[in-house]
This record gives sequence, structure tokens and C-alpha cells, in this order.
Amino acid sequence: MSERTEKRTQVADVDRSLYDFTYSEEGYERYEDGLTPDIVRAISEKKDEPQWMLEMRLAALDTYHAKEMAPNWGPSIAGLDMDHISTYVSPRTKQAKSWEDVPDDIKNTFERLGIPEAERESLAGVGAQYDSEIVYHNMREEVAKDGVVYTTIEDALHDPQWEPVVHEYFGTLIPPADHKFAALHYAVWSGGSFVYVPAGVTVEYPLQSYFRLNAEGAGQFEHTLIIVEEGADLHFIEGCSAPKYYEANLHAGAVELFVKDGARLRYSTIENWSKNMYNLNTKRARVGADAKMEWVSGSFGSHVSYLYPTTILQGARSSCEFSGITFAGATQDLDTGCKVILNGPHTTASMDTKSISKDGGCNTFRSSVVIGRRAEGARATVSCQSLMLDDISRSDTIPAMDVRNATASVGHEATIGRISDDTVLYLMSRGCTEAEARTMVVGGFANPVSKELPLEYAVEMNNLIKLEMEGAIG
Amino acid sequence: MAESTLDARQDARPTAGHVTLERVNTPPAQTWNYLRANDITLTVPVHSRKGDVFFALPRLFEGVECGMGPTVTAWAESQAKDAHYVEVKAGEKRKEPIAAQEDTGVMVRAGAEATIVICTQPDGPVQDTTAALVRVIAERGARVHLLEFVCGGSDQRLDSVGIVADEDARIDVRQFFLGAGTTAAGLAVALDGNRARLDLTCRYLGREQDILDINHVVRQRGRNTHCDVRESGVLDGHAKKSLRATIDLVHGSSGSEGAELENVLILSDDVTNKTMPVILCDEDDVAGNHGASIGSVGPEQIQYLRDRGLSMQEAEGLYVRALFDEALICAPTPQTRAAVLARATDVLGSEVANDLVDGLGLRDAEEV
Repeated sequence: MSERTEKRTQVADVDRSLYDFTYSEEGYERYEDGLTPDIVRAISEKKDEPQWMLEMRLAALDTYHAKEMAPNWGPSIAGLDMDHISTYVSPRTKQAKSWEDVPDDIKNTFERLGIPEAERESLAGVGAQYDSEIVYHNMREEVAKDGVVYTTIEDALHDPQWEPVVHEYFGTLIPPADHKFAALHYAVWSGGSFVYVPAGVTVEYPLQSYFRLNAEGAGQFEHTLIIVEEGADLHFIEGCSAPKYYEANLHAGAVELFVKDGARLRYSTIENWSKNMYNLNTKRARVGADAKMEWVSGSFGSHVSYLYPTTILQGARSSCEFSGITFAGATQDLDTGCKVILNGPHTTASMDTKSISKDGGCNTFRSSVVIGRRAEGARATVSCQSLMLDDISRSDTIPAMDVRNATASVGHEATIGRISDDTVLYLMSRGCTEAEARTMVVGGFANPVSKELPLEYAVEMNNLIKLEMEGAIG
Repeated sequence: MAESTLDARQDARPTAGHVTLERVNTPPAQTWNYLRANDITLTVPVHSRKGDVFFALPRLFEGVECGMGPTVTAWAESQAKDAHYVEVKAGEKRKEPIAAQEDTGVMVRAGAEATIVICTQPDGPVQDTTAALVRVIAERGARVHLLEFVCGGSDQRLDSVGIVADEDARIDVRQFFLGAGTTAAGLAVALDGNRARLDLTCRYLGREQDILDINHVVRQRGRNTHCDVRESGVLDGHAKKSLRATIDLVHGSSGSEGAELENVLILSDDVTNKTMPVILCDEDDVAGNHGASIGSVGPEQIQYLRDRGLSMQEAEGLYVRALFDEALICAPTPQTRAAVLARATDVLGSEVANDLVDGLGLRDAEEV
């Protein structure tokens, strides 16, 4: 076996050891595959929900069945058969506040992913979801003392103080009728996080939720609801991964973010779903006056992704920054991007995205910038750069701009190209192998996004790029 | 020049009614449907063709993709009174422009050069709908200049153009959409041959209640092909404009470059401007880029012009006048110049139109 072949095998092994490990589902509660009102009722009953939530679920199920997928949209999801997806799989364990109380196999999973270590070192709170349920949730005492609430949606619904708040906000930013998979989400949602940051409170360390889908042929439908009150400040990190199977898995979560006047929210995501995953996630933020929404997004996994975080800049002088990178390799067709609606006067939006395609992977970047009639002096810029690493991959850029105000200004630029031979030759002449040279260039290309992440997540992202790149050469 | 006239009122044939053409000007890749930017729906007249003999272009032209899509092609073919086939022989440098009519196919043989003109006729009573369907095949080393002037004359104008370019063929397209009412125009160019090249300039004006819907599709299939697309325009009043511009770098087009840039000047808060610049890339050894800039005249620029005695309206009017200036410079025949001037008179007034004539020295050359 040649040295080069050995290298590739080793990389593939490393990749699997990081994320592609599984534990038996024996003893787990798993609802039958498919979508029926009985399954929806069973989920609701298990969670002992208020009546309004059950009614919402059942109405959403009807909407899901009634809605058609647009025929002119993105990569095919024909391989996704809801009749062969279980919408609820749960380990038979209660939510723990200490890692010691988490069952060993699940604890081992999160330890291998580095979650408890990250919690000790750099987080204000952690939530860990395993399949359909949160298995661990904890937050530092000093953060709780400031009045910050970080819990599950289910727990918030059982709390008389927070149930009315959930009722007021849940499903208002992403209505169930938004699209077919939003409707599916509301019918069978389970797990996720509820975060409330009181006015004027700055959470010094990030909160993190990590979502792990261990079960084969299952869906994960967590709901994240974050309310950052006036003048408050929060960084929330979302991570996700799953082992690889040959059966389709589905992720159809929803993230609703309310950023009130003068507040700031940074929402960072490192997504490394396995390559049998359909990632049809919906994220949306509404931003008040003088408030700021920041998105940092790294998408590495999934077989097919539809992911377009949306920001509604409703308040005057509100702003949004989006930094994203998408890496599509073999068997991946990732349709990602972002949407911004500028409604308030003097709002600003800046979107900077990068995509890398290799080994036959397909990347599609979509964006929409809508400037409303009352958005006097609004400013938006979109920059999209795509890197093609071989001639069997594909990269498409599909931006759209709708401008309805004469004082607004919108700029858009996009480039698609490859690593120039001159650059590779230059680096090779200074002692790099071709693989190292290309990895170095890709690392530099991704740097503007990785530098926006906390150090340990930037390292994780850079490692993911290295692993993908090392497997690409030879 | 017998310009394209799919005219409902002047046509002697009875109008059987109207038909709705859906998904017109659809780009190869689409955006969110709720943005209503993916296509346009048009209602067009249909004449009875019972008993008519249908003349058609040589079948070779069936393979030419047209910008407005197959629905419009089928409708235009079925409604055209005749199909006009023009062949420019190999090596011939044809000086006389070819006036494209309602259904026209032009074969520009190897090494030949031709100028094709599409122009509406603003004179006479305003018609319901006019249209032109123009397909061009440019053989190896051919050079094609396509000039398109939409200057009013109908409530609704449809221009659907398709061009196929072989090796080393060079295509220059200049479009001026200056007309009132609804203008829907599609241009598809296939750079099939190695080193084929397209230079496309599109200038547009939308004002009052105008609707302007443009679809540009460039397929770069040959190696080392080059395309440069530049669109710019001015929107005022309640005008609604949609521009879809797609550069498709097809697998195998290694060494190709595609660039697209749009600049939009918005003069009114009631304008709706939709821009969708798309790059599809299925090849690594290519360079594709696009850009768009949408906004109004900056306060510094306005102030600069005000300091020199120009009112806001006059300053903004300069941009509109520049459009007509450029259209007049490019107009190759007395008829096209007359059409542009007639429209300039409608928009800018006769005094400014006369200025344009004098500025270009046209008054002595021909009666305009």
C-alpha cells in the first residue's frame, strides 16, 4: 500500500472515530415509523402538554399533509420517505443536571464530542439532546442569579411563570404554515431549548446546545426559542452531529430568536450531520430597534441541506451580520444561504459567505435581500465566494434582491473559481506537498468565518476542513 | 422597415381571444417563489389560424434556446404571419442591417458578419401586443451585432431572442428598453464553440406604471469562452422591474470566464426593483463573477450638480437623457433613430429631443 493510500485510509478512520460511532438503541422508546394523529397525540401526551400545544400539533399535521413541495426547488429529497422515519426515539432516562447521572453510553458519546470539557472551560450553560429528548441541562449559578433562564421547552411549558411566555412566542416567527417541513416540525417537535435573558443582562460566556441523533431511520425535531430582552447580550452556540447510516435520517428543527431593542444576539452553529441526513432546518430572528443579530454558520455534514437563516430587521437602526461557510464533499448536495428583510429605517445587513465543493459535492448558495418601502437609508451588502476543488463538483449562486425604497443601497458580489496552479506551485516550491498547499489555501479561505467562532469551535472547524481536505488529494 | 407586428388590432385576421402564457422568462435556476421573481405571466392575443398555411424556419432553428422560453416560442410561431429566414454567406460582411420581423431566423455562415435590428414602431395608434421571435446561428468565426430598441408603440411588447455561437464566433448585443407599458424580453446565448464570445449591454428605463421583465441566459459550453454582461437602468414613478441574469458555466467549459454586472438607479420610493444575478458552475477551471449595485444618486453627487445650477429633477433627468443619447448613437438606421427620438420626445420633451439630434449632428444627415 502506498504512503498516499495509507494517508487516505487513516483520514477516513479518523473521521469515523470522531463522529461515526453508535450505541445500541436497546431499551429505547421508539415510536412506529410514519406520521399519524395517534403518533402526534402520543408525543403530546408523553410530554403532558397544555391543550393548546396539542391542538397546534394536530393542526400542523393537517398542514403538513396539505402542503405540496415546490416543484422548482433545490436538491431532490426524493430519498426521504416519512413512512420510514420514526419521529420520536428516546433513551429511557430522565434529564440530568450532572454528567454523573447521565447513562454511560450517552455520557461517553458527549465526552467523545468534548461537550463536558467545553462546559467546564468556556460555557455558561449546556444542553445536550440525544435523539428526541434533552438528557442533560445545566447552567452556572451566577448566570441563573442574573435571572437568565436556560431550560427545555418542555420544562418551560410546565412552569406557570414561563408557560404564558412560550405560548406568546412559540410558532409566531416561524408559523406552521411557513412551509411543509415547518408544519412537520410543529406536529412532532421534541426537545430543544428555551432561553430568556432579562433586560440589560450580559451573559459573559456562551450557552451551548448540542444535538446528537444516534438512532437509525429517525428524525430530530428540536425547537429553540430564545428571547433576549432590551439591552441584553447573549452568545448561543449550537452543535450537531450523527453517525453515518445507510438509511435516511431527518433533521427538521426550528429556531425562533427574538432580539429586543438595543439587544445583541450571536448565534453560532457548527453542523456536522452524517452524510445520510436530510437537514431541513428553519431559523429565523426578529430584531428590534438598535439591536444586532449575528449569525456564524459552518455547515459540513448532511446528504441534503435546505438551510437559510432569516433575519427580519424590524426596528430602526437594527443590524445583521451573517458569516457562513459550507463544505460539500462526495454525495452531498447542500442548498444553503441566508435571507434578510430590512423593514426599519437605517437598518444595515452584511452577509459574507463562502463555499467549498469537492469530490462531486454540490453547493448552492441562495440569498434574498428584501428592502421594504419604509426602510429609509437601509444598507445591505452580500458577498459570496465559492471555491471549486475539482471538475466533478458543482457550485451555484442564486441571489435575489427586491428593493422598494429609493434611499436604500444594496450591493452584491459573487465569485466562483478554483485554487490557481500558481499558488499551489508557489507553496510546493517552499516545501509543502500539494495536499498541504491546497489545505493551507482552503484554511485561509475559511479563516474569515472561523475567526468569528470561539477558539475551541474554530479549532473544530479547522480540523473538519483538514480532514475533508486530506481525504481529497491523491 | 416592416417591424415585428403581432398586432391584435391592425391584423386583418380575426382575434379568437386571449391566452395566458405562464412561466415566461424563467431562469434555469430559481429563487423563492414567494418573492415572485422567478417568472412573469402574460396575457396575449390569439388570432384564428384556421385555413392558413404555416411557414416555418428550417428545423435547425428548433434547437435554439430562446430567452423567454418555449411557451412564448410556440405562441409567437403560431401567431406570426410568416417566418423569415435570412442567410449571410460565408465570409460576407453584410453592411445593410437585417430587420428582424415577427419570426426571424438568421444563419450567419463561417467568417461572415451581420447586424440584426429589432425595433418597435412608436408611430401610429398604440397597439395591444407586439412581439419578435429572433433566432440566430453564428457559425465558426462569424460576427453578429444584435441591436434591440423597444421604444413604445404597444401596451405590451415581447422580444424573445436565441443565439448559438460556434467556435471563435463573436456576438455583440445592445439592448435599449425605453418603452412604455409592459416590456418582457428574453435573450439566451449559447457559447457552444471554443473561444466564442458574448458582449451584452442592456440599458433600460422604467417610469410611471411601466413593467419591465428581462431574462438573460448565457450558456458557456465551449472551452475558453468569454461573456461580459452589463446591465444598467433608471427606474422612476411606479415602475416595476425584474432582471434575471444567468451565467451557466457548463461542464467542459474549462478556461472560460463569465462576468455580469448590474447598476440600478432608483428615483422613486414607489419603484419595485427585483434583481436576480445567478452563476451556475459545473467546472472548476473557470472564473465567474457577478455584481449588482442598487441605489439612488448620492447626496454628494446631487449637491455637486446643484452647485452648478441644476435642480434635483434636472440632475436626475441627466441620467435618463444619457440613456437616450446612447441609444441614438447605437441606432444604425434612420428608422431606428426615428423610433428612439419619438420616445425621447415623449419622455424628455421635444426641446431635449432636439438637443439630442443637434448634439449628434443628425439634423443635417437626415430628416428626423
